[in-house]
Amino acid sequence: MSGRPVITMKGIVKSFYIGTPNELEILHGLDIEVPEGQFVSIVGASGSGKSTLMNIIGALDRQTSGQYILDGIDVAKLDDTELSKIRNKKIGFVFQTFNLIARTSAIKNVELPMLYAGVQSKERSKRAKELLETVEMSDRASHMPNELSGGQKQRIAIARAMANDPAIILADEPTGALDSKTGRLVMDIFHKLHKEQGKTIVLITHNPELAAETDRIITLSDGRIVGDRLSGGEGEQV
Amino acid sequence: MNLGENIKMAFSSLRANKMRAVLTMLGIIIGISSVIMIATMGNIMENSVMDIFNSQGGSNLVGFQITMKRDAVRNYYSTDDLIKEEMIKKVGERFADDIDVISVSSGSDDASMRFRREDLDLVVYGVNPGYIRQSMTEVIAGRYITEKDVEKRGNVCVISDKQAEKLYGSPREALGKTLSFNMNGTSCDLTVVGIYEYKLTGLMSAMVNMAGEDWNNEVYIPYTTFAKLENTTNISFFYFYVNINNGVNAEKFASNVRDYMNNRWYRDNDSIEIWYQTGESQMSMMSEVMGIISTVISVIAGISLLVGGIGVMNIMLVSVTERTREIGVRKALGAPNGAIRSQFIIESVIICLIGGIIGIILGILLGNVAGIIIGTMASPSVGSIILAVSFSMAIGVFFGYYPANRAAKLDPIEALRYE
Repeated sequence: MSGRPVITMKGIVKSFYIGTPNELEILHGLDIEVPEGQFVSIVGASGSGKSTLMNIIGALDRQTSGQYILDGIDVAKLDDTELSKIRNKKIGFVFQTFNLIARTSAIKNVELPMLYAGVQSKERSKRAKELLETVEMSDRASHMPNELSGGQKQRIAIARAMANDPAIILADEPTGALDSKTGRLVMDIFHKLHKEQGKTIVLITHNPELAAETDRIITLSDGRIVGDRLSGGEGEQV
Repeated sequence: MNLGENIKMAFSSLRANKMRAVLTMLGIIIGISSVIMIATMGNIMENSVMDIFNSQGGSNLVGFQITMKRDAVRNYYSTDDLIKEEMIKKVGERFADDIDVISVSSGSDDASMRFRREDLDLVVYGVNPGYIRQSMTEVIAGRYITEKDVEKRGNVCVISDKQAEKLYGSPREALGKTLSFNMNGTSCDLTVVGIYEYKLTGLMSAMVNMAGEDWNNEVYIPYTTFAKLENTTNISFFYFYVNINNGVNAEKFASNVRDYMNNRWYRDNDSIEIWYQTGESQMSMMSEVMGIISTVISVIAGISLLVGGIGVMNIMLVSVTERTREIGVRKALGAPNGAIRSQFIIESVIICLIGGIIGIILGILLGNVAGIIIGTMASPSVGSIILAVSFSMAIGVFFGYYPANRAAKLDPIEALRYE
């Protein structure tokens, strides 16, 4: 599995300023390269720096030092508005708690990233319908989030993440709030997107079983990469 | 992110909290409706005042009256101090080129009349032919008091259309009939030579109609006849009015007449002199009062709109806090700060705009309630409606900006973590 790198991180350091003279360093210089089309999982216990890393990958936050190239763009050089554009076009977020916009129908939720991208109304709803079909939720298009089950919500959220055909799908514990059966269903969708559409997916999880399903497992501990192996490759270092 | 989408979004969020939205709007509704209501009522008043002013000659009207000198030694008038009939005649001759008409009235006196076993209370005015210009009336049948009537001390009178209808069924029927008046204990027979009606519009005509007989019981007779009935030979007046010709400078004319009269007849008077007032100065006094009233109202309206605006701001801050997580999600999905900001500003503007429009409708309705009662309607000027709409929108932007900006500047990571 190799291709053009979508994520290239070199010496990523993230520290938080928590009052003089202390600076809390969370990430201590990470080097990660993810090629296009890879399904990679990042695992680690809580406090390992997973979330901080995810925020940087997702362009919600900037690294303190080091270099992060996302799909050929140096993220550190971007201002807030450009960052929001990157999030909009390059990244599809899937959250643990779904985070659908309340009082907004399933299809409107799926349309939202396209709305911010300035896609015309007609095209938005056409694409949203296609996406809902991909996640097998066409019959729920006009339902409100509070009328949907957890698994259904997450499928809508995945459809939303795909809206602008992003370079990566960034899923943060996407099955964490679901029972194992619906969790399985959601994982199957990720596999389908990966296999059929060749999507690059970054899965953040603390569940080693889920991680084992992916192409590659990066293990974080205390802000350092302590393991990086291709799954089924018996601990082969990448 | 276009405006239409933002407006749709704002409406859906308002629908989600209907009660709250309505209560917030209430502040704006009350503020705007009170402004519009008062503007509407002010319009009704102003139209009526202008009606009277114009019907009496507008800026061509000058009034002269006796007044106390600055160094007066008395604080009362005597008959000798009054303006004599002769003086007015002299003024009329001397300033004939400038004068359109002079009107005098030798005051009024209560009189009664017995008609078909019914006692009617009347007010009798002794007037000259020019007086019709001051009395807001016009003759609809017969004629008004003439110079000849004045000269001959004729026993003639002009009564109102309402009186004529009451006494004889119609104005035509009343002409030529003789009425027997009782005035100061002496009775006299007067022939009805004319019928008048009030020529007023708007509020004043409504008031006259409502007042009914109290307003319509005025009877006009020649001032000479009036003096005869009062048993005075000395005909004199407290004041008289002059309608000047178009193009004559009212101020200059008035001061000339005043100086002429004071030099000729009041120089040796120890306490009394002539004083004048032009229509222009009356009007400017009136508009000064109106100006003060509207300033006070504007301040009150401003305060109530300020309170309403603070209410909007308060609720928008609550709304931003409530929707912190939603804001985080929107940002994660790629909403730039500007889109978040405009979303909340538009929501606040819509609250204010709906409130403003309801307020305008309510204000016009309330303003016209008084109008409906007295039978006259008025609408505030289009200008004041446009002003009210744009002002309420401005409140929306002004008081919505701070909460919206706060929403826009939220850190997406913090916002996503918000429970």
